[in-house]
Amino acid sequence: MNLYEFEGKNIFSQFGIPIPKSILVRRGDDTETRYAELGIKEVVVKAQVLSGKRGKNNGILFASSDTEAKTAVENIFDANIRGQYVAAVLMEEKLEIVEEHYLSITYDTNKKQPVLVYSQSGGMDIEDVSDEKIQKVYLDIRQEKIDTEIPLAKELYQCFLQSDARVVEINPLVKTKTGEFFAADSKIAIDEDAFYRHKDWNFEPRTMLGRLPTDREMEVKKIDEGENYYRGTAGKYIEMDGDVAVLFSGGGASIANMDALIKTGLKPANYTEYSGNPPREKVHQLAKIVLSKPGIRGLWIVGGVANFTDIAETFGGIADVLDELKPTYPIVVRRAGPNEEQGLQLMRDCADRNNLQIKIFGKETPMSATAKELAEMILK
Amino acid sequence: MGILLDKNSKVLVQGMTGKEGLKAAKAMMAYHTDVVCGVTPGKGGQEMEGKMIFNSVKEAKEKFSQVNVSAIYVPPFAAKAAVLEAIDSDIPLISVIAERIPIKDTAYFLAAAKEKNIRVVGPSSLGFINPDIGRIGVVGGPLVDQVFQPGSIGVISRSGGMTNELSWQIRQAGLGQSSAVHVGGDLLMGTTYADLLKLFEVDVQTKAVVIFGEHGGSYEFEVVDLIKNKGFTKPLAVYIGGKFANVFPEGMNIGHAGAIVGRGQSAAEKEVALKSVGVLIADTYEDLVTKIKPFA
Repeated sequence: MNLYEFEGKNIFSQFGIPIPKSILVRRGDDTETRYAELGIKEVVVKAQVLSGKRGKNNGILFASSDTEAKTAVENIFDANIRGQYVAAVLMEEKLEIVEEHYLSITYDTNKKQPVLVYSQSGGMDIEDVSDEKIQKVYLDIRQEKIDTEIPLAKELYQCFLQSDARVVEINPLVKTKTGEFFAADSKIAIDEDAFYRHKDWNFEPRTMLGRLPTDREMEVKKIDEGENYYRGTAGKYIEMDGDVAVLFSGGGASIANMDALIKTGLKPANYTEYSGNPPREKVHQLAKIVLSKPGIRGLWIVGGVANFTDIAETFGGIADVLDELKPTYPIVVRRAGPNEEQGLQLMRDCADRNNLQIKIFGKETPMSATAKELAEMILK
Repeated sequence: MGILLDKNSKVLVQGMTGKEGLKAAKAMMAYHTDVVCGVTPGKGGQEMEGKMIFNSVKEAKEKFSQVNVSAIYVPPFAAKAAVLEAIDSDIPLISVIAERIPIKDTAYFLAAAKEKNIRVVGPSSLGFINPDIGRIGVVGGPLVDQVFQPGSIGVISRSGGMTNELSWQIRQAGLGQSSAVHVGGDLLMGTTYADLLKLFEVDVQTKAVVIFGEHGGSYEFEVVDLIKNKGFTKPLAVYIGGKFANVFPEGMNIGHAGAIVGRGQSAAEKEVALKSVGVLIADTYEDLVTKIKPFA
């Protein structure tokens, strides 16, 4: 999960990384009051977005008075920063910068170890800095501390380790007139699989889709919470613009099937995937939310030949929802694996009971082919 | 022959007394695999499915020194300690089935394994199978005999479900598999596509290989380098899922944990790079079989 700049900076300061004095302005806050609370004349006003080049998209402005600050904040809340949702505005002291450096730690997936990247040419995308100006240090994650002359690198390594981060980046890492270093920006991506050892993680809801999470997205997320969070996954749902609902099984199959669906010209109403043999109840909750989206014109329930996901158990959860809703739009099912006969029979019975317009396939038909079946049923 | 497993593989199941561990132990035993014992801290002295349970890997090794594979079936928060135990006991092949292990823990045990030249498959890997020889984990599930038969195609997949589905497509085309390996969907892979291709290269049974890959990560680029350097010379067909993902912003993950939308790592970019070294690119996953069939 990616963090907002202000959240990242709060974490940085816990690890002794100096950050500029700042105050957060939310929608509806009185900016002039916040400006007075900060008590600094020259400020920089920054959009809090999860990705995107905000500097080049009017997401960073300057102000020297409360009225200027107010205008700047208003402009930022109204700005379109590459479609990103502006969660808040960070008002910060303007530093007297003499140098801009770059510092980050992330995992090198080929070497499978953390890599520290440092450059004295910061303030821009590191991809745009020439290789000879970049210093890369591969780190042994088993070491609790690192020894280095690179400014704030020791602190950043502690932050990386102890925050279970996937990425920590300070860009720019600025040197001020007085020779001090500050994190002028922050980029942190945390590893959500480590949440159980971070009771303090209580971040506001977000998506990277340039909007707030929808109610359905927030509801689905709850399915995999609690003690047995790792026993089968059913908490993945992204709401999309289309009108064909999908219930995919398996991470890999889900992305292959998304491609296959789009190829037929149909437009997905959502991206959803359950896997790892989730219990009937988890699938039931998921299916219920997926099918609650208005305007659905078709439903594709598809997965590969499962290894250990029980088809009867998981389809039981879906059939329950079909019994409740009795949808009239076309439905196509393709699935195989443990208890496949029982599972598919369950769907056939459900179809008969509710007079569903449905086609049911087993493993003799490949998954992509059944996307075409659904397209034909919907378009005819 | 196939890769990773053979008739002399002796398997230890860490977490055998748990629900999934027990299910897997039974599945392995039901498919020609020699599961010799299990480990669950605090449950030593019990017997399950006729196999002894020990408190630690060390104790298990004292009794069964021939153990050469460990399958890790523990909850994510216990995984690091479990894998480190297996590494400490010098078990040369560790299959990490546990899912949702924090990346930091994975990086830690991968570093420890590398130092001792121990191979780790996974994490979040369903396991692997050599038809008629054995399987680690529940690959194939109860339909294993319908899906798998010995043959000349090596199967590598980023997805557990697709390992099976793809093997089924191969079987339906009248072919068989030498080995099918699920590398796991995490950001960090203990054994990568390239690592496996090196093994398939020297395996006489394998005539060609198929890979189910995904957008995100850079492991496909290792394959490109390997082929350029003549480290893999057999026919290879690859499908990369997630073409739709380019509508999402950089940094977002869709599908598996490692499938993060990133610059230079899209499905299309990977296909271009692979194509440039002669890899056959499949448009759909079913197409993998059509592409590779002439070489089987």
